[in-house]
Amino acid sequence: MPGSGSRSGVSYDARGLVEPHAEMPENIEVDGHRGRFDAAGLTIRQINMALRKLIYNDGITDVTVLNPASKHSLAVGILKRCRIHFEGSPGWFACGLIDGPEVTINGRVGWSVAENMMSGVVTIERGAGSLTGAAIRGGDLIVKGDVGARTGIDQKGGTIIVMGDVGINTGFMMQRGRQIICGNAGANLGDSMYDGAIYVAGKVRSLGVDCVPGEWDDTDTELIERKFRIHGLGDPPEFQKFVCGKQLHNYDALEPSERKLVIH
Amino acid sequence: MAGSASSGESSRETRTVAIDAEVLAGKRFPYQEDISLVEDIDLLAATPGQDINWLEDITLLEEDGVPAVFDRYSNSFLKIYFDIPEGREDEIARKMLIRHLTDGNSYGITLKDIHCKFPQVELGPWVEQSRIVGTDWKQPVLEGWTAPAGH
Repeated sequence: MPGSGSRSGVSYDARGLVEPHAEMPENIEVDGHRGRFDAAGLTIRQINMALRKLIYNDGITDVTVLNPASKHSLAVGILKRCRIHFEGSPGWFACGLIDGPEVTINGRVGWSVAENMMSGVVTIERGAGSLTGAAIRGGDLIVKGDVGARTGIDQKGGTIIVMGDVGINTGFMMQRGRQIICGNAGANLGDSMYDGAIYVAGKVRSLGVDCVPGEWDDTDTELIERKFRIHGLGDPPEFQKFVCGKQLHNYDALEPSERKLVIH
Repeated sequence: MAGSASSGESSRETRTVAIDAEVLAGKRFPYQEDISLVEDIDLLAATPGQDINWLEDITLLEEDGVPAVFDRYSNSFLKIYFDIPEGREDEIARKMLIRHLTDGNSYGITLKDIHCKFPQVELGPWVEQSRIVGTDWKQPVLEGWTAPAGH
């Protein structure tokens, strides 16, 4: 019902969402299982429409997007195994809510890349903004440059690897999962974390509330060596491990428990 | 699950504090009782990337005193009734979950065909060539209801 009954000039689709005018781009090239299109001059909606058409409708498993030009919210909510390659830099909220894709970004990204990722791999060749991997639940997120503040805030699973430095409040309220930071960490590392592990190779400006040094064991070594090997990150440096001191929260399998509902 | 019945009442009240996959499905699945039905699951093939990816966070839990794995796609526990070999607890939990998901038995998958508003693969990213659902969602209309004037 786009446009119907609207007094404001804004039209809505059947889901109640704003439906700006958008036409499927005509510059999509398909070669076998590979697809490719130039995003220059396209709207965010057109880019995402093209991605969804290729991945869902056409069964394309390998898509290259040229010139994303820092547009926001690209490749959000892709729930299928596939490969997506951005040749350039997306903006904020890239690759959020994905479940399955393996994404490479030959550039940098803005805030909140891979927010709420369920599974998959996102690799960023340069730096990322604040809130990188916010509320990530699973999968691997690799940033080869520096990142901003609050990396992995509310992280509930998955592995975040940063080859450079991280900003303040990294791992704030982290609940599960792993962060591997090869550079320095800003103030308040792991503040109010519930669980999970943060590995830092560089200097830590300060630890947050209830974040304490943890004991290293063979599983830590296995994890880091495996992640560096499969993502081609070279030889891992020496890390120090930080965990939750468990003095602030009474943590007892919170993740499943908080999801429990009462049925009458 | 706890059941109670007051004297003189024919009805029986049942309260559940956690969601059980069996309750949602109305039945127990054969692979919950037979380890041989999950042994052949290839975890690497079922996950993105070169390791087990998101399954790294899946571990064997316990629910109602029974070993169980948590299905995040339906917020439910899937109980495991066979003896789990020592040292393979998390592996079996992961295989059980993948079997449950790829067979389409997770309640979240059951709901997709009816309720999802956006195109997505029915069986999730674990099954190749799974059909796409959510391409033709229509707003439900209550019979006899008409929109108030002005809307």
